[in-house]
Amino acid sequence: MLEGKAVIGETDMLQTMQQDAMDLASKALDFFDVTEAIKIARFIKKEFDRMHGPGWQCIVGTDFGSFVTHCCGCFIYFCLGNLAILLFRGSAAPEAHENRFSALDAAKA
Amino acid sequence: MSEEAKKNFVGALTARPTSDDQKQAPALNVPPKKVIIKSADMIPDMQKEAVDIAVAAFERYNVEKDVAEQIKKEFDKRHGPTWHCIVGRNFAQYSQLAPAQYYKVGCDVDIQGSYVTHETNHFVYFYLDQKAVLLFKSG
Repeated sequence: MLEGKAVIGETDMLQTMQQDAMDLASKALDFFDVTEAIKIARFIKKEFDRMHGPGWQCIVGTDFGSFVTHCCGCFIYFCLGNLAILLFRGSAAPEAHENRFSALDAAKA
Repeated sequence: MSEEAKKNFVGALTARPTSDDQKQAPALNVPPKKVIIKSADMIPDMQKEAVDIAVAAFERYNVEKDVAEQIKKEFDKRHGPTWHCIVGRNFAQYSQLAPAQYYKVGCDVDIQGSYVTHETNHFVYFYLDQKAVLLFKSG
């Protein structure tokens, strides 16, 4: 499936990790259909937990708004085709000083 | 699956000075929003609180991220950080490729109950009319 190029909406993440996220999303769309948003989200999250440590959250859909708190350097929101993908790492420590607020509104397909 | 409906007017401290359209006061005979709790790992009082805050937020805001912001910040204030909130429609129409194709917003939530015990009992996913609200605590 040719999804086209990923378009980053907002990010707080190293370039290499950004590329990892977009590559994983493309790979997920090869494995799953676009209607299986939960499986796509699970695939991306599990891979990021494995590659970059635990605690990642992933939301996939075409029509959602969100408001989350994430660790510094662990946040990306991008669109791949008509899918919007939000990936971030929630703080695992009880007292986290490096959290920031992020608000996003996914563009309707 | 349990159903409940209630209207609750929670006044916010923040004013909106440049608000053009004044919302008219809801009439008494306005039917309450339909609430369907699809999945919950949360004490009933907190569930009810989440629904009440969501109803109030939907009445004040039209943009989904503003609704999510309101809910998350309120829960951060009342129940401590760190909460995450996603608001969206249950189904989205994929009209550009296939007119009749729909799919569901999905989310894989990792509640680290095994390692951080206080994160259990902090997850709720419910529908408010046509909107789905996902609220959970992580970290």
